[in-house]
Amino acid sequence: MEVKLNPKKQPKPVKPSSGNKRKASESRLGYMLVAPSLILILLIAVWPVLQSFYYSMFDLRLNNPTKSEVNLSYHIDLEKYLNSYPFLITTLEDEAGKAAGSAADTLNGLVKELKDVDAGIQSDAAVKKQYDQVDDKLTNMEPVSDELSSVKVDKADAMKLDETLHKVSAKVKALKGLENEEDALGLSSSLNEAVIKPNFIGLDHYKSNLTDKRMWMAIWNTSAFTIISVFIELVIGLAIALLINKAFFGRGLVRATILIPWAIPTAVSAKMWQFLYDGQNGVVAKIFEKVGLVDNATDLLTSNIGAMFSIIFTDVWKTTPYMALLLLAGLQTISSSLYEAASIDGATKWKQFTTITLPLLKSSILVALLFRTLDAFRVFDLVYVLTGGGPANSTETISILAYKRMFEQTNFGDGSALSVIVFVCVAVISMIFIKFLGRDLLNDK
Amino acid sequence: MNKKAGPLFYIFLAIFVFAVMFPFLWMLVSSIKPITELFGDKAFTPFTSHPTFENYVSVFTNYPFLKYLWNSFVVSGITTLYTVLIASFTAYAIARLQFKGKTVILGLVLSVSMFPQIATISPIYILLKNIGLTNSYLGLIIPYTTVTLPLSIWILVTFFRKIPFDLEEAAKMDGASLMQTYWKVILPLAVPGIFTTAILVFIAAWNEFLFALTINTDDKLKTVPVGIAMFEGQFTVPWGDITAATVIVTIPLVIMVLLFQRRIVSGLTSGAVKE
Repeated sequence: MEVKLNPKKQPKPVKPSSGNKRKASESRLGYMLVAPSLILILLIAVWPVLQSFYYSMFDLRLNNPTKSEVNLSYHIDLEKYLNSYPFLITTLEDEAGKAAGSAADTLNGLVKELKDVDAGIQSDAAVKKQYDQVDDKLTNMEPVSDELSSVKVDKADAMKLDETLHKVSAKVKALKGLENEEDALGLSSSLNEAVIKPNFIGLDHYKSNLTDKRMWMAIWNTSAFTIISVFIELVIGLAIALLINKAFFGRGLVRATILIPWAIPTAVSAKMWQFLYDGQNGVVAKIFEKVGLVDNATDLLTSNIGAMFSIIFTDVWKTTPYMALLLLAGLQTISSSLYEAASIDGATKWKQFTTITLPLLKSSILVALLFRTLDAFRVFDLVYVLTGGGPANSTETISILAYKRMFEQTNFGDGSALSVIVFVCVAVISMIFIKFLGRDLLNDK
Repeated sequence: MNKKAGPLFYIFLAIFVFAVMFPFLWMLVSSIKPITELFGDKAFTPFTSHPTFENYVSVFTNYPFLKYLWNSFVVSGITTLYTVLIASFTAYAIARLQFKGKTVILGLVLSVSMFPQIATISPIYILLKNIGLTNSYLGLIIPYTTVTLPLSIWILVTFFRKIPFDLEEAAKMDGASLMQTYWKVILPLAVPGIFTTAILVFIAAWNEFLFALTINTDDKLKTVPVGIAMFEGQFTVPWGDITAATVIVTIPLVIMVLLFQRRIVSGLTSGAVKE
């Protein structure tokens, strides 16, 4: 390699002291080069995991306007408040004018109480300012931003408002036969929606999940899937790697064959297998039925065991080749002279396998197992497309359950708790593996 | 160890290749069958006497399939370019420069690559929704970084470590600055490794499913895996369309794998094997 340098620049003489200088500038450059990746990783991977944990302590539901955000304190949605409050007052005053005797007294009493609460809310200078701004905007029919609309209030004020509104509803109902009873009740309840209570619930989601049968079922399904499929993949992968670890005609073709199932999107391969497993028209289902693997072709995707078997079979088809490749690469680093020496000493093939191949392949096997186990444990695409977790949740993995909680029930608090549980499981699995692997994985050599 | 391959070995090999490829071959055969032959007795015949392209036409006319392909291509392409660029700096620093804490950084990168995606989805989804980036290309490119950046750093570090250190020493003796050494000595030698990484990152981004499913729900912005997974007919499952779509996405993949198989294998196994 020829090194061309800018000819105008004189090469700097290497002084003894420049060694330290160079070291310092090397460090600085190192940090500079690492910084962009580090910032990105912290922002897009580490922050979300921590945030998931934070969300998991709230009753966060995206379809419920009073719980769609994380709230540690009491808030009032001023837009909603001011869209109902003045009209509730007028409605009540109106009714008080029409009514007589004790009914009028009751209604006037309610109006006074509501006004007191309103005054209480406005007594805070900061709240008052925002209150007036929103009021102006509403009068001028201008849109109000969410940020301006939401204001933090004292717990006491918010509770008082809530309490008074309940009283208003109860009393209006008790009076019976008010002309605009429905209006008054409607306004009172929409005013109540303006009060946003804190939705912090601590570890309740974890408590409910850890006692939930469905969660344990999902953990069980995920573990069964992971252990069985990774074990089969390891055994078959190792066998294939041992068999093709030699020179033969058509190596390239075999390697390409191996790579295609690995490279195809999992979701697409799941859809493909769904066609092949189809009870009426699926050829693989038909073959399984013919060889007696299942009693009836329809059992594959409609029975609990059949569905789990289908998922494992597809995963084995898709990732055994990848396992074989990793192990083959490990095998190729073992020097053939070891085997020659062993056969001169009269060691059998089996003896050679257990005393040479396995010990030298140990770290390759562990690394392959680590990657595959973690991949299998977070399985999502395959199950989502092939069975959707069914039938009767028999193939529902923990990731699928978390997804359903978040995106089908829009319960992000509970879903986040489940995803934190997945994270903890994955962390524990990796720690166990890394204990076996030691620091091998990160070392320079 | 027996290094000679006998006839029995080739028979085994043929069976193995056939078993692995069988699903694809069956999809190919089914895709050119008329729809009526996908059901009933004819569903199990491995040939058809009335080959047709109607399924292929249907894929492009009944679904925005071309749009799906374009979306996947744009998102994966941009993700690949920018992650590999950033990762190459980081990998160079970790592999070739001396500074404190680099093992810790590499450890962080490795642990992040093990993060389950489901654990990051809720904050990312809520954030993207609040800033209006759901149903956009950027809305996928940003979260894809979680998957692709650690992957590319990890692979590139191994490639950078394989470049002989003598070259750097020589450049240092000639008075080249560290950046000059990087651009003029290391980078040209790392091009094959960077290219390999780019292929793997592209495949990873192309295949991503969970983010694509949740963030881009608008049919016009779906990627290929989500698009095919969501194929739905009016009354029955549109198996004809699914077989044709699978063949369409598999063919370029087969070509790519045939062209770059050596690179892909070296990329996949780097970092996993101690040499």
